[in-house]
Amino acid sequence: MSSYKIPIGPIHVVLEEPIYFQLEMEGETVRGVDIRSGHVHRGIEFLAMQKNIYQNITLVERVCSLCSNNHPFTYCMAMERIGRIKIPERAEFLRVIADEIKRIASHLFNTAILAHIIGFDSLFMLVMELREKIQDVKESTYGNRMNIAANCIGGVRYDISSEQAGFILNSLQAMKKPLEEITKIYLHNGSVRRRIEGIGVLTKDKAVEYGVVGPVARGSGIAYDVRADCPYAAYNQLSFDVITENTGDIKARAVVRIREIVESISLVEQCLKALPEGPTCLDYMPMIPGGQAIAKSEAPRGELMYYARTNGSDIPERLKWRVPTYPNWEALKIMLAGCKLADVPVIIGSIDPCVSCTER
Amino acid sequence: MSGIMGYFYNLVVFPGGLFALAVGMFFAGIDRKIYARMQRRVGPPIYQPIIDLIKLMHKETLIPRTSNQKAFRLAPLAGFAGMLVLVTCIPVPGVFQGIGQLDNLLLILYILAIPAIALMVGASSSGSPFGAVGVSREMVMTIAYEVPLIIVILTIGIKAGNASGVLADFSLKSIISLQKETGSILSDITMVPAFIAFLCCIPGTLGAVPFDIPEAETEIAEGPILEYSGISLGLFKLTGWLKMFAVSALATVLFYPVPYGSHWLLSVFLFILKCLFTILISVTLVRATMARMRIDQAYKFYLRIPTGLALLSLVLTIFHVHV
Repeated sequence: MSSYKIPIGPIHVVLEEPIYFQLEMEGETVRGVDIRSGHVHRGIEFLAMQKNIYQNITLVERVCSLCSNNHPFTYCMAMERIGRIKIPERAEFLRVIADEIKRIASHLFNTAILAHIIGFDSLFMLVMELREKIQDVKESTYGNRMNIAANCIGGVRYDISSEQAGFILNSLQAMKKPLEEITKIYLHNGSVRRRIEGIGVLTKDKAVEYGVVGPVARGSGIAYDVRADCPYAAYNQLSFDVITENTGDIKARAVVRIREIVESISLVEQCLKALPEGPTCLDYMPMIPGGQAIAKSEAPRGELMYYARTNGSDIPERLKWRVPTYPNWEALKIMLAGCKLADVPVIIGSIDPCVSCTER
Repeated sequence: MSGIMGYFYNLVVFPGGLFALAVGMFFAGIDRKIYARMQRRVGPPIYQPIIDLIKLMHKETLIPRTSNQKAFRLAPLAGFAGMLVLVTCIPVPGVFQGIGQLDNLLLILYILAIPAIALMVGASSSGSPFGAVGVSREMVMTIAYEVPLIIVILTIGIKAGNASGVLADFSLKSIISLQKETGSILSDITMVPAFIAFLCCIPGTLGAVPFDIPEAETEIAEGPILEYSGISLGLFKLTGWLKMFAVSALATVLFYPVPYGSHWLLSVFLFILKCLFTILISVTLVRATMARMRIDQAYKFYLRIPTGLALLSLVLTIFHVHV
């Protein structure tokens, strides 16, 4: 059978962001894949070295929309590490709450998109309706539905009143039952399972070899979660499970995400319960001395790492970050090899790629 | 009315042409509305297909430079023409008897394949790789759903032939008159599997989820109709709406044409109601509760379940008739 090439992207219905997959096809079977990127490179790393340290908090929040809290969060942690700044304890908890709320929204978004890709629009609507609840929480707590601007160097920029805490708890409580229903659909519905079970398999060996992170790694049986292995903020005072699945297919990754939402809900509840009194932020803007530091956190897509170097001036000398999608999309070559054309969008969707993070 | 003028009337006004188109668009609108309500959305107004059509008529038709221009332009027209002929020869029980020379189920089965073939011709002449994938999928789908369809039609033919004393009678007129005497075919328990098989084929012929594989928006971006725009795309839409009416009407005629009213208006109303019921249970309900299949899964599905059910009915009918 003769082979032909088919383009997925840079503009394609299934991709939210531009990335170009050139697939070498043989009938309906994928024989080779070539990933080309660079369509949304905006030069943010360069820009970050022109702005001052405080302006950069706003800038890095705009690297990516779905994990937009983790960028300023990790950036602030790196800067605080250079400046040896101890932030108030209440701020540590509030940072965790902001992070987990963003994680719930991000995971729900991917869960919904996966349903849309396999043509199950009713499930898509069901999940998006649920996501609307967490969007309301975001809007009422932070005043924004996407970029919540929660972090600053030395603490957080918001506070939660007891009334607001009650609203958040009620919203999260109302999410639990629909979430169970969605889990059931992903686990047992025949027409969904047909499209996600045993497809796009990434074995544990290959996952280690490619260094994948986040739900992709945990779906392949690697129990690596920065929150547990290298706790930051208030995570060492909270209890949660690192969710893993062993099959390494699309279903495993989807189920890991849905179960992590449940864990995240419980984390927010624990935080709200244990929230200590006190200030939410330092009452001055600390100067950052010269030095260098690495900070990492668990973004919805996996480990996010920031490297910062300062020289005592207000402009950082170097800012560099490694985002979770970077190792994950290399592993697509393994997952896509030998699959059917119809599975390609589902597999791409299952690693939850964040192109604008990766290309910045 | 008789002769050429009569045929012309049948082709353009009733039951083909305007009537079929109006009913088809109405079905499409209702389908979208109910689909939306099932997902707790408001949904488009029922007259949305008309708005879509008017919009498409005002749009420019772009023809890709790499395409075979003649085939690309003519394919939607051929599909539409084929469908128009098909809706003309479907009888409306109690009102319209069908056209004598076209009164044959096997012929209808042939004409039913014309839009699919036109789509394949148009897509393969467009020069798009997505079109090419769509063509191969459409071809597999056509082969898959035609097998159970043929067996169902054969079963009904044998049933009708038994009544009129021949081996198999594929005339729609005698199928309806048989049911007028002995009650609807569906009331016969041995024909229920055949009916289910027929219902399974409807989303396949209409390209609805879970069998919208040739178009598969999120996989190959509408595949065959990707390069079409303007009125050419509008023609494909029109063909789709006509097809929606045609297959539901076929199901009604084959399985439950009776009872029909004494007045022609009541008969037409009952007919439309039965057709709508067919569309709702075979298209709307299914596409709201299922994910899209892969082409290999759909092929296996058709050759297992609907074919198996149709064969069961066929065997039971032969057993009933000849033993």
